[in-house]
Amino acid sequence: MLQAILLGLISMLGNAEYLLGTSCLSRPLVMGALTGIVMGDIPTGVVLGATLELAFMGAFSIGASIPPEMISGTVLGTAFAISTGSGAETALTLAIPIASLVLVFKNLGMVFILPAFVHKADDYAEKGDLKGVSRMHYLGGFFGVNLIIGVVVAISFYVGSPAVQALLAVIPEWVQNGLQIAMGLLPAIGFGLLMQMIINKEVAPFFMLGYALSVYLNIPVTGIAIFGCIIAIVLAQLKGQPQMAYAGSEVDEDDDF
Amino acid sequence: MTTSNQITKKDLNKVFWRSFGLEWSWNYERQMNMSFAHALIPIIEKLYPLKTDRAVALKRHLEFFNTTPHLATLILGITASMEESNANNLDFDTESINNIKISLMGPLAGIGDSFIWGTLRIIATGIGISLANQGNILGPILFLLIFNIPAQGLRYYFMHAGYKLGSSFLTKIQESGLMSQITYAASVLGLAVIGGMTAENVAVNIPFAIGSGEAATTIGDICNNIMPGLLPLLFTFFVYYLLKKKNMKTTTLLLMCAVIGLAGAFFGILG
Repeated sequence: MLQAILLGLISMLGNAEYLLGTSCLSRPLVMGALTGIVMGDIPTGVVLGATLELAFMGAFSIGASIPPEMISGTVLGTAFAISTGSGAETALTLAIPIASLVLVFKNLGMVFILPAFVHKADDYAEKGDLKGVSRMHYLGGFFGVNLIIGVVVAISFYVGSPAVQALLAVIPEWVQNGLQIAMGLLPAIGFGLLMQMIINKEVAPFFMLGYALSVYLNIPVTGIAIFGCIIAIVLAQLKGQPQMAYAGSEVDEDDDF
Repeated sequence: MTTSNQITKKDLNKVFWRSFGLEWSWNYERQMNMSFAHALIPIIEKLYPLKTDRAVALKRHLEFFNTTPHLATLILGITASMEESNANNLDFDTESINNIKISLMGPLAGIGDSFIWGTLRIIATGIGISLANQGNILGPILFLLIFNIPAQGLRYYFMHAGYKLGSSFLTKIQESGLMSQITYAASVLGLAVIGGMTAENVAVNIPFAIGSGEAATTIGDICNNIMPGLLPLLFTFFVYYLLKKKNMKTTTLLLMCAVIGLAGAFFGILG
């Protein structure tokens, strides 16, 4: 029981790397060692952490992609391996269903809980309430992600791997897929809001330019920024010349799109 | 104009510490938006004594933001300098603040992700693993030190460098009277970057098959033949339309996305 709670807290500490400077605390190398301390076998924890680190090497967040739930995978995999006295292979086999379960709950938090805080922060901003916005930032990350991971890891360790597998079998596949699809759709809201803010008739085509460069030529955002920068400089210079014929018609440049 | 509206080194250090939580409230809708606003609050508090001004500034910084977190202080510093100019100069074009933020975040992420995640982390991991394989606790400790000393050092350096860069640049622009051109250029660049990021981030696919045997194809494939990424583009325009013309609330849009996702998966239309 105590071990289960401690493992939950370790997982929360791992996720708290996002509050602590994205400092790589959640990497298996670190989580494995901390799990080893809780389970009373530090060298095994460190070695299993290194093994799992190699397995999860490719998993780190770039852009919008979220890495597999490696915190629960490492903590529970290492914990089960130490408690049953088995090796890294067994650790992964036991941990994968749990990592999948944590991912489902984490996704539920990402789709239903955290956005509530994001929208509440908008309300506080409306009132000019600085503390309110900060509070939403802290509470949103805690209740939307951090606590969920900790609780699911603690309970999973307490009930054991077979029970978790049984629970996972009950959750229909379309719920898991549906959450994934929703995550692909959600960024459209953020970009829609951005466009609403900066788009006007004069510059609207450049959105399509960026989009087309990306989908047709697979140019990464840095490349688009370089091309965009050159075009922007050229256009700004043309615009700056007072003898240009259209210089007089610039009055309506802030019209709504 | 008043001396109280000057940003000090102390203010920037507050922003630096707050920037440690940039990924804490990372969300699918606007990614680092809450954490960016949270990090910038010491600046907003200092520059804008009036609640109404604070509200406008907070809303501005609650928009979409995402970049490599360790290097984001460069943009936070530049933004702080722009907010300072905005607070002290009535002519300042407020829109340019977000335009410049947007046009910087993509390229910084491109360079930052490959340096921080692709290089620094790999070096730290390599050294950490070689020790940890022998069960040596120094493995994870060295891993954390090798990664964090340069990463957080850069975070600190970029905080102050960004502010200085922004301030000297803005002074030059204001002296030369090129502000309207810069604003225009920033919105051109900003929108091109948003276009590229939309293509990379928004995902919609319809794997629903039509036809059979050799002729079988999916609706998603047909759409991609018309234009790659057509469906995400249409969906983004649809959301933009609902926001702009229907004044739909983001909460409603969020629920709409969740329902579309779950229903799409249930009926096997979306994938």
